Amino acid sequence: MRKVLVVAVREYIAAVKSKAFVITLVLMPVLMSLGIVAETFIKEKVDLNPKRLAVVDHSGVLYDDLVSEARRRNTEDIFAMDENSGLASDKQVLPEFHLERVDPAGLDRDELLLKLSDRVRAGALFAFAEIGRDALDPPADGSDANLIYYSNTPTYREMWRWLRDSVTRVVQQWRFTEAGLDRQKVVWALQPTEVEQFSLFARDESTGAIAAEKVDEMATFVVPVIMLMLMFVVIMIGSTPLIQSVLEEKSQRIAEVLLSSLTPFQWMMGKLVGMVGVSFTIVVVYMTGALIVADRYDAMQLVPFHLLGWFYAYQTLAVLMFGAVFVAVGAACTDHREAQSAIMPVMIVIVLPMMLWVNVAREPGTTFSTLVSLFPPATPMLMLVRQAVPPGIPVWQPALGIALVLLTTLLCVFAAGRIFRVGILMQGKGAGFRDVVRWIARG
Amino acid sequence: MNAVELINVTKRFGTFAAVDNLTLSVPAATVYGFIGPNGSGKTTTLRMIMRIIYPNGGTIRVLGEDVIGQGAASDRVGYLPEERGLYRKMKVRDLIRFHAELKSLRHSKGDAQRWLERMGLGDWGDKKIDALSKGMSQKVQFICTVIAKPELIILDEPFTGLDPVNASLFIEVIQELRRSGATIILSTHDMSVAERMCDHLFMIFKGNKVLDGTLEEIQSAYGMDTLRVKIDLNGRQLEAVPGVAGVADFGRYQELRVEQGVDTQAVLRHLMDLGKVRHFEHAHPSLHDIFVRIAGPEAKEAAHA
Repeated sequence: MRKVLVVAVREYIAAVKSKAFVITLVLMPVLMSLGIVAETFIKEKVDLNPKRLAVVDHSGVLYDDLVSEARRRNTEDIFAMDENSGLASDKQVLPEFHLERVDPAGLDRDELLLKLSDRVRAGALFAFAEIGRDALDPPADGSDANLIYYSNTPTYREMWRWLRDSVTRVVQQWRFTEAGLDRQKVVWALQPTEVEQFSLFARDESTGAIAAEKVDEMATFVVPVIMLMLMFVVIMIGSTPLIQSVLEEKSQRIAEVLLSSLTPFQWMMGKLVGMVGVSFTIVVVYMTGALIVADRYDAMQLVPFHLLGWFYAYQTLAVLMFGAVFVAVGAACTDHREAQSAIMPVMIVIVLPMMLWVNVAREPGTTFSTLVSLFPPATPMLMLVRQAVPPGIPVWQPALGIALVLLTTLLCVFAAGRIFRVGILMQGKGAGFRDVVRWIARG
Repeated sequence: MNAVELINVTKRFGTFAAVDNLTLSVPAATVYGFIGPNGSGKTTTLRMIMRIIYPNGGTIRVLGEDVIGQGAASDRVGYLPEERGLYRKMKVRDLIRFHAELKSLRHSKGDAQRWLERMGLGDWGDKKIDALSKGMSQKVQFICTVIAKPELIILDEPFTGLDPVNASLFIEVIQELRRSGATIILSTHDMSVAERMCDHLFMIFKGNKVLDGTLEEIQSAYGMDTLRVKIDLNGRQLEAVPGVAGVADFGRYQELRVEQGVDTQAVLRHLMDLGKVRHFEHAHPSLHDIFVRIAGPEAKEAAHA
C-alpha cells in the first residue's frame, strides 16, 4: 500500500507541475473572464458611422412613415440603457440609419437596381431595399416577397432586422386604420397570459407549514449544466493524461526499472490514485471559484450542497474507471498515432452524455432517461443531472447507479491491470485487439 | 549460503524456450559474471530473478525466499536493467528519493548526497535528468539501484556507454559494495572485464548453461591449448602450420589453438621458419576465446545466412 502511495505522490506532482494542467486550471477561468471582458469591449467597438439605406417604394405610400420610424430610432433606440434607472443614457452604442427615397417611376427595374448596387459597392450606400407594390395588401397565395433587402454585408443583421420590424409596424398601422380599429385596443386584446411555475405543495416537517416553492429557472437548468460541465472537465483532465504518461514510461524505458521495485498492479493503482488526487485539486479550485461567484451574486441558495457527496463519489469512480481504460490503451500501444485511434471509441463514450443531457434534464423521469443514466460510463454525468433537476429522483436510482459504476470500475481496473502487466514491457509493435482480449482472459 | 538459486527453471515464449531447464547457484558476497551472446536468455533469467516475469517451471530462490507465488519484487534486491530509463522531468535528488521510497527506505537524503559525491555528481542534485549527459544519467540510475542498500545487486550490462574513467569508477564502486557484503550479479559482453572482476562466471547459450565456475576452473577445463604469438605474418599462413587447429588474428598479435598433445616447441620452430617471432606464450585460452569457441560457429552461420 505504501508503494502505491509513493507512486501516487510522484504522479500527482508530475501532473500538477505539467504545463497542460496549469493551463487548464488557471487559464480556463482566465479565458472565460477574458471572454466576458472582450464581449463588453467589442460591444463598444461597434462602427457608429451613420448608415445610408436607399428605399425603392413601389407601394408609394410607406416611405414617409418609414422615415419617421428611422427618425424615432435615431433619437431613442441607439443609446445604451442605464442599468440603474432603466432609462437611455447619452452613450451611443448603435449607428444612426439614414433613409433615401428612390423614385422608380419611368425607370427600368434591373437598371435601377444595378445602379443602386454599384453605389453600395462604391460605399455611398450601405444597403437598399425594395418594398413591393402589394406590400399593404399582399395576394393570399404569398407569391411575391413584399420586402427585399439588398446588401453587400449579409452578416450585418441590425439593419435587416430594423427594416423588417419597421415595415411590419407601418403596414400594420395602415391596416388598423383601414379596418377602423384602434391599435391600442388590439394590443390589449391580444395580450398574452403570463405563467409562473411552482413545485408541488408539501408540508414542512419541522414548522408544519404547507407551501410550494416558486421554480427558479436558474436552479432547474443552470445548476445541472454547471455540474455536468465540471464533471466532464474533471474526467477529461483526470484521466486522459494517463495515456501520455504510460506511453512515456514505455518509450523512455522506465517500466523495467520500476517493476524491479513494485508489482505492475501496485504501479497502476498508484497512477490511478495520483490522478484521483489531481481531479480533486481541480474540483476544489473550481468549486471554490463557483462559491465565491455565488456569494457575490447572492446565489448561495442555488448551490446544491446536498449533491456534493454524490459528486465526489461519481468523480472518484469515473476517474478510476476511465483512467484504467486509458492506462490499458497506453500500455497496449507503442506510439501516439496508435493511441489516438485506440482512444476514439472511449472518447465517444465519454462525450455521449454531453449529447443526451438536454433530453435527460428536460424529462428526467422517463424510462429512457432512467436507463441511459444507469449505463455505467454515463452514470457519473447523467445521473448527476437527473439528481440536480428538481425535485430529484428516488434515491435507489443513484444508489444502483453507483453500485453499477463501482462494479464496472473494478472490472476495468482488473482488465487494465492484466493489459498493463504484459503491455508495459512490450516494445516495438503495438498490440492488436485480439492480443489484448487474450491478455485479459489469460492473465 | 547462496544468494540466488535456480533449479530446473524453464521459460517459454510461445513455443520458443528462452531458458531451458536451467540450474545455477550464486554464492553470497561474490561478484557473479553472466555472459552469453545476444538473445541467449540472459535478460530473461535476470527478469525471472527479479520477479518481473515468471518461469513456466522450476524453482527460484532469492535471498532464501521462494520467488514463485510471491507478488512484489523484493526490497532487498537492486536491479539495473539493460534498458535504462529515468523520468526526464524529475530532479536528480527527487528521483533518487522516489526509488529509495519504492524500496521502502524512508530517510535516504544523507545516503543520496554521499552517493552523488562518490559518483562525482555532488553539484547535480538539483538538476533535472533532462540536463544530464548520458554517462551522468547512467550514474544516477546506478545510484537509484543501490540507494536502498540491497543485499543482492543485479547489473545488466552496467558498463555499456561508459568512458574508461567512468568504467573504472563503476568497477571500484562494485568492489566496495561486495566488500560491504552485497552479492553482485553482472552481465557483460566485455570478456576482459568479466575476467578481471568476477569471482564466478556463468555462460548461457541458447537458453542452456554452457559454463559455470571460477575463471580458473573454466580455463583449466580447456587446458593449455593456446599459443599467443606476435609474428610478422598474416593469419592465413599460420593456419597451415602443423598442429594448429585454429587462428584468431587480432592484428597486433595472434592466438593459435593447438591440437591436444601437440609439441609446442615444434610449432615454435615452424613459426621461426615462417618469419620473425617477437612474442611466444603458452597459455590457457582467454575467456574471449572460450566464448567465441562456444558461440562463434553459430554467430558465423548467422552472419552468412
